[in-house]
Amino acid sequence: MNINPRIDRTTPVIVQGISGRAGTLHSRLMQEYGTRIVGGVSPKTGTNDINGIPVFASCAEAVRATGATASVTLVGALQLLGAMEEAVAAGIKYIVTPTEGMPVHDALRARRLVREAGVIWVGASTPGMAVPGAAKLGFLPDDSLSPGPLGLMSKSGTLSYEAGYRLTQRGIGQSVWIGVGGDPVKGLSYADLVPFFAADAQTGALLIIGEIGGHDEEEFAAALRAQRFQKPVFALIAGRTAPEGIAMGHAGALTYGDHGTYAAKHAALADAGAQVFASLDAMVEGICAHFTVQSR
Amino acid sequence: MYLLEHDAKELLAQHGIPVPPGCLIGADETIHRLALPPGPWIVKGQIGAGGRGKAGLVRKAATLQDITDHANAILGNTVKGRRVNAIRVERQVEAAEETYLAFLIDPAAGGVRVIMSAQGGVDIENLSPALVHSEVAPPERAALEACVQRLAAAIPGTKGRALRDAGERLTQVFLGQEALLLEINPLFVKTDASWIAGDAKMITDDNALVRQPALQELLGQRAAAYPETVLKLKHGFDYVVVDPDGEIGLLTTGAGLSMMLIDELRALGLKPYNFLDVRTGGLRGETTRLVQVLRWIAEGHKVRVLLINIFAGITDLGEFSRLLIAALAKVPQLRVPVVARLVGNGLPAAREVLQTAGVALHTDLGSALAEVRKHLATGNGLWEKSHNSSP
Repeated sequence: MNINPRIDRTTPVIVQGISGRAGTLHSRLMQEYGTRIVGGVSPKTGTNDINGIPVFASCAEAVRATGATASVTLVGALQLLGAMEEAVAAGIKYIVTPTEGMPVHDALRARRLVREAGVIWVGASTPGMAVPGAAKLGFLPDDSLSPGPLGLMSKSGTLSYEAGYRLTQRGIGQSVWIGVGGDPVKGLSYADLVPFFAADAQTGALLIIGEIGGHDEEEFAAALRAQRFQKPVFALIAGRTAPEGIAMGHAGALTYGDHGTYAAKHAALADAGAQVFASLDAMVEGICAHFTVQSR
Repeated sequence: MYLLEHDAKELLAQHGIPVPPGCLIGADETIHRLALPPGPWIVKGQIGAGGRGKAGLVRKAATLQDITDHANAILGNTVKGRRVNAIRVERQVEAAEETYLAFLIDPAAGGVRVIMSAQGGVDIENLSPALVHSEVAPPERAALEACVQRLAAAIPGTKGRALRDAGERLTQVFLGQEALLLEINPLFVKTDASWIAGDAKMITDDNALVRQPALQELLGQRAAAYPETVLKLKHGFDYVVVDPDGEIGLLTTGAGLSMMLIDELRALGLKPYNFLDVRTGGLRGETTRLVQVLRWIAEGHKVRVLLINIFAGITDLGEFSRLLIAALAKVPQLRVPVVARLVGNGLPAAREVLQTAGVALHTDLGSALAEVRKHLATGNGLWEKSHNSSP
């Protein structure tokens, strides 16, 4: 599957769960950023519109009436698989699911579903994605977003906000920002996006913000090597000193034995030619130095 | 959650999986001969981490005295940052061969990986790849059972028969309990092809706990063994004491940013007390959650400073600051200076609120850390004092 996660100001987007607290707030914030929100889905009858956005009783109805191709799904963790099934059946081609706490066995089923249907899924447990200066799907804070040369992928929300914010303050923005999310089984992983970032003309370098647990960083490193990725890659990995056997906030951030450890990730990334930083400060300085040298 | 071996085995036994008879003995309990299964025994320290054998937590015992000696040697030790609070004493399995069977979620392959080997008892990573049979299947009973049958067919004799039977039965446990990992190593096989789970490593999905009654019941009965999971289930956020002797209490949001801060503090030689992802979005205008967190941090007997680090994407920092000051006033037992580093939405209002309450506000993490170090060096500047002097 050839994945292109870019969206623009014309991409028609619906919000599933728009009548909920998060749905109402974030449909407005996304709209203010420039996202073309064309509709919302809420099973509650009697609501015609929220923030001026027409509300439909089902995904199928919303897609028929608006021609939406993307959905931001803001429903509870145990309802998420069902909402995704509904979106895929309605013909949605791009699903972003910020919801935290999706059961892993549900995520496995959702992953099979979207892959078989050729649908892009970002999440779960993701702050979303953005093409800075154009549109965003999800929660990414405007203060951290600015158009620029850096492709950004992150498991963590807040750590990426902080990184994006500090780099933006220093004049370095992002081409496409994808919060892949902190769950172990997810829609898109870092490795899935390597071909896209390699080909994307606006992306001059890649920043991945990883954390302990799972093997996503190792698989990303393997993809860099296998595809002979030519652009500079920068990396930051959280959880170097976390205790074994306890999930640190994210369901995926769990080490056991030698699995998912900082050391394994650091080694794999460094071997693949990535520059791995020990702290946020070092990361900001390293990336700034790279772009300063390049612009001379 | 990473189940202790004893709990995993009890859970497996409930589902009809054969395990050696055994009992759990806590650190303060006396060992009663009558409570023990028939010997000879194996004494196993219970922690939620692997490598127990290498750490000396697994020992054979032939007499009651052996058990007592091993218990004394094992209980109270700290291995991989986890204290050994209990041992499982179980009957040794004799006259059996060791094999290996595991089910685990394979995120990259997008399915359940089944691993089988005619040799067990050692780390699977240390076996020759030729001896390890593995395949991925979707998380459905028929597909997984077919996968088990294919893998077992490659293993001749009684071992193959036993692994097939064990695999089919454990498939149901893995799916039914929504496990992330279920590893039986060794899986003992006897000459008549009967089998028994020598060890059991099981990690379950905290996200699925709300629909898993057996695991909820286990948590209810053994809450003290799983403080992090109990806490998350009860309160809806994550809190982990990472160092009981830590000096810096952390009030932070975001799992990644909080982990990174702990790493950076430790790299500077500082001692953070806790990990916290408080989820400012979940405060809902109430102090309840902050008060709870501050009370827990106050339990850290060496905590000497509270560092707040919040990057507010959506959260209003003015509102957060008002809640924070109100919460601090409700936890007078936390008598430590407060250093706040806030960035994002609503900063000017936050500055005003914190200034009035006498809490220094930083926007730069480096300068906040400099103040933390200053407090650790002097031990002065209790927040309570400055708070009491404010209107």
